Amino acid sequence: MATSKSMTLSSTTFAKLSPHPYLLANLQPADPSTTPTRTNGRQPSQTRTPYINTSSLSHAHGSAVVRNGDTTVICGVRGETILTSAIPNYRAPSPSDDSSSSLDEARDYDLLVPNIELATGCAPNFLPGVPPTTLAQTLSTRVYSLLHSSKLVDVSRLRIYPEEAGKENKEEDDEKMDEAEEIDEYAVAEDKAVKAYWVLYIDVLFISFDGNPFDTAWTAILAALRDTKLPFAYWDADREMVLCKPVFTAKEKQKKGSGSYWILVDPDRLEEGLCDETVTVVVDKLGRSTKILGISKHGGTVVGPELTKKMVATAESRWEQIHAAIE
Amino acid sequence: MTTTTSGPEALLSHLHSADGSATFSYAGYTIIGAVNGPIEAQRRDEIPEEAVVDVVVRPAAGVGGTRERHLEALLQSTLRQIILVTNFPRALIQITLQVTVAPENEYVNTKVVQANTNLPMLPALIQTAVLALMSAAIPLTATLTSVVIAATTEDGSNRDIINPTAREIEKSRSLHVFAFTSHGDLILTQSEGEFTMKEWEDILASAQQQCCPNTSGDVNMGDDAATGADLGTFTRSVMEAKIASDLYWK
Repeated sequence: MATSKSMTLSSTTFAKLSPHPYLLANLQPADPSTTPTRTNGRQPSQTRTPYINTSSLSHAHGSAVVRNGDTTVICGVRGETILTSAIPNYRAPSPSDDSSSSLDEARDYDLLVPNIELATGCAPNFLPGVPPTTLAQTLSTRVYSLLHSSKLVDVSRLRIYPEEAGKENKEEDDEKMDEAEEIDEYAVAEDKAVKAYWVLYIDVLFISFDGNPFDTAWTAILAALRDTKLPFAYWDADREMVLCKPVFTAKEKQKKGSGSYWILVDPDRLEEGLCDETVTVVVDKLGRSTKILGISKHGGTVVGPELTKKMVATAESRWEQIHAAIE
Repeated sequence: MTTTTSGPEALLSHLHSADGSATFSYAGYTIIGAVNGPIEAQRRDEIPEEAVVDVVVRPAAGVGGTRERHLEALLQSTLRQIILVTNFPRALIQITLQVTVAPENEYVNTKVVQANTNLPMLPALIQTAVLALMSAAIPLTATLTSVVIAATTEDGSNRDIINPTAREIEKSRSLHVFAFTSHGDLILTQSEGEFTMKEWEDILASAQQQCCPNTSGDVNMGDDAATGADLGTFTRSVMEAKIASDLYWK
């Protein structure tokens, strides 16, 4: 509604009506005393500070969340094994042509599989139920070619050897995929034939999208690959399959017979999953004396008659609590 | 009024395709148990550090319902405690219990599918499972003995009935199932009805006397409550007889 006062517009209206002149007006202010700033308040060469959080996905071998302003990307890396016998036209790498040959194992056998998804709702122009947008496909291609051309991942660490050869390089046990080039120290291992490879599935998901997707996606891939820990894998000749040494074992579990126990009243889901023995007591305190309507105990021998008595007392106080809440 | 006119009977290793089997009859119940294990567990079920114990209970008539699932859950968590599960990581020990004869209450209409708990059957199921596990040579830390006791009021006085009939259970005030390990530890308690802590402790004491006569110091006073068979000794003698007959050719 134009009033007679003046033809001033609020900055948001200006930005909507003619975005390009609006950006230029900010970059080239009419008043030379004011410093040129961008519409978002940043200096022309000022970047947004990235925030990186790694290992946030529990089921990936490596993961990272990168936040760069309002662009947020999550990247998960998952390793799977492929047998060399399952690779068509497989040619065993010889130790001599490791650096300079035409053979590029990662590219030829597709050992790195990046995929980029722009989640519905991460920005207004991404609609649900449509095939991957041009942007997503473009980004996938760019990431794929950069992964290979940069030789980011040392392919020799993706090879899986028969057990005896693998034992000689122990440091693979908790392997860190590092972008730093590793000196080739697997000469011993290489006289054994490669039996299988790790294939890294690198999935990148944009949670929110506010520009600069490639940079943020690549940062996430770098952080996730750095975070990636693969279990030590070896080829078992007897079973003719790839086996992994477990990274995590539940040995921390307390052994039976240690004698100590804890009684957890009103357990949550986690506690319920970890406890063996459960006791349920149903009491009715409405009358003069407490009536027990049911006792159910199973799964262990810790709770004897004495503890059961204590449980009944606990149930009685719980009854008071519930009674007060209902009334 | 006693139902235990005949003592417990058991038949071991009579199913040839199962790793271990037992048929157990006592107090009106006959149950066939079969144990297979350790066998390969399904990938999604397996536990990395211990064996999965799977219990299947099939009723005498019809297909299993919620009641059988409840019994299975109780048996599973109890048997897991006595089987040396850490000896068989990622394996499966499957216990199948088929009820063939169950006592019926002539006073009420029997339904094939019943949702309420079926505690009286529990001791027979436990006993069959333990015998079948031993027949399959699954290493156990202990054996189990179990008893069902009904508390009734007769002519103003309280009376505990060991191994009550269906009719006695119907008329009872409360029904209790206890299971003890051969070390004398209380491993399972299921009590229904209406009772006080004092009554429960008394019933527990008589159950203990019934299940582990050697560990409790009390002398059998000869009252009609304590008429059940000594299942611990029974289990031992059945196993001894079986081993003796298996080794007879030597």
